[in-house]
Amino acid sequence: MASLSEMYDVGWEEMRDKLRKWREDNCRNSEQIVDVGEELISEHASKLGDDVWIIYEQVMIAALDCSRDDLALTCLQELRKQFPDSHRVKRLTGMRLEALERYDEANKHYDAILQEDPTNTAARKRKISILRAQGKSTEAIRELNEYLEQFVGDQEAWHELSELYINEHDYGKAAFCLEELMMTNPHNHLYCEQYAEVKYTQGGMENLELARKYFAQALRLNNRNMRALFGLYMSASHIAASPKVSAKVKKDNIKYAAWAAAQINRAYKLAGRGNKENKCSIKAVEEMLESMQITMS
Amino acid sequence: MAGPELLLDSSIRMWVVLPIVFITFFVGVLRHYVSQLLSSDRKLDLEQVSDSQVLLRSRVLRENGKYIPRQSFFMRKHYFNDAETGFFKRVKRKVVPKNPMTDTSMLTDMMKGNLTNVLPMILIGGWINWAFSGFVITKVPFPLTLRFKPMLQRGIDLLSLDASWVSSASWYFLNVFGLRSMYSLILGQDNAADQSRIMQDQMTGAAMAMPPDPNKAFKSEWEALEVVNHQWALESVEEELMARDLDFGGIFSANNS
Repeated sequence: MASLSEMYDVGWEEMRDKLRKWREDNCRNSEQIVDVGEELISEHASKLGDDVWIIYEQVMIAALDCSRDDLALTCLQELRKQFPDSHRVKRLTGMRLEALERYDEANKHYDAILQEDPTNTAARKRKISILRAQGKSTEAIRELNEYLEQFVGDQEAWHELSELYINEHDYGKAAFCLEELMMTNPHNHLYCEQYAEVKYTQGGMENLELARKYFAQALRLNNRNMRALFGLYMSASHIAASPKVSAKVKKDNIKYAAWAAAQINRAYKLAGRGNKENKCSIKAVEEMLESMQITMS
Repeated sequence: MAGPELLLDSSIRMWVVLPIVFITFFVGVLRHYVSQLLSSDRKLDLEQVSDSQVLLRSRVLRENGKYIPRQSFFMRKHYFNDAETGFFKRVKRKVVPKNPMTDTSMLTDMMKGNLTNVLPMILIGGWINWAFSGFVITKVPFPLTLRFKPMLQRGIDLLSLDASWVSSASWYFLNVFGLRSMYSLILGQDNAADQSRIMQDQMTGAAMAMPPDPNKAFKSEWEALEVVNHQWALESVEEELMARDLDFGGIFSANNS
């Protein structure tokens, strides 16, 4: 089987730079990382210098993701030889045990780390992920809440908590977590959109209004967010179709819904620009919009 | 009294000015690595970390509270500021004032700081003064008063010499401060060779003696949060959004078939 460098005609420097880019962007393309990283460390380890350790860590985590336990073990052993007392390496050992589903041993590992260093956030987060992997959502939620009481600024944790709450259908608390995220990242349109979706799911006139506003905000932050555009259309038409609203609110919402529908049509026209089936797809969009209208039963 | 322009021997430039620059620079780099070797890890206290994050969250609430709905904002403000149950009112941290004289870790830190920074400066300054004495190095481009003469013209006892002509010691001190930007270029930001930052720290004094008192920090956050009003940024978001068509630039690639 030809090696990657021959197939794609890349040198080892490009492979190393690619790995660094994936590391910085936090991409989870584990199979690619495993392919590129395995070749890099087996053939070019000496040329990498001090970079090799962080590449070992990156490849090991990707290998665990792809169930490549052999590769993970080799990487871990190299790291353990070089950094025998490191908490970071201990965490990787724990992760490997988690991957092998030896959760009790992994827990013991993490407890040992926490005894030496109570501020180590990585170990605590791994313990919570163990609970999640075992399906114990209520305990996971409880532990995560305790964690967040002490480390209020950890945005990854807030996001994880909001996901857990959504799975448990506790939308009020999920909205709280997303509000924290929106405050710390006011320009991130994805948090606005997720918050709006949670509010829409909660239902009720106030929440629908909030949902509509936050869909609009998400669109303002990023004009190309189609999901927010559809969300705006849905929430506006939902409010307009409700019998309990005043005439002015109804009129406003019909206007918003009409605008959103027009924008959706425009977007699909743009998409089908080079396409011969142009007219058919636009008609399909219009029909879809009509069918999405909320009718009172 | 503008004296006649002196013409200096060009070998002064080659053998004095440039060597002083190099000496200062390399001593600075050496200092940076030595202090990195000698620095000890600061043990982080869980409570301190937690407190600093809480303060950060409160600050974020003040600044970006306008992006969340009114009720949520007030809920959080109530959590922090309520008269009986609010976090800032309820939580009092025990503050142990750290006496810099008796606290051993502070003492060793201070000693290390002095050793790596002040001592080399004095030594090198003195050596340069001794080695390169008796002649002027350069002329500062702006006129100086006569009071600067004894300071800048060590070892030269000419009454009629313009105060703008300086000796090697002053060129050394000029270098120490001037090479700061070079250090940040080469060693990256926040390097230990940065003399003036350390001197600034010493002047503020309290920053070195003890960590900022958490109770005071809580009180000031409480006051700041009390006065904040909620001005919802999303009041008229739909009108603003629908004022113009959406810009779908680049959302679809032209060759989509």
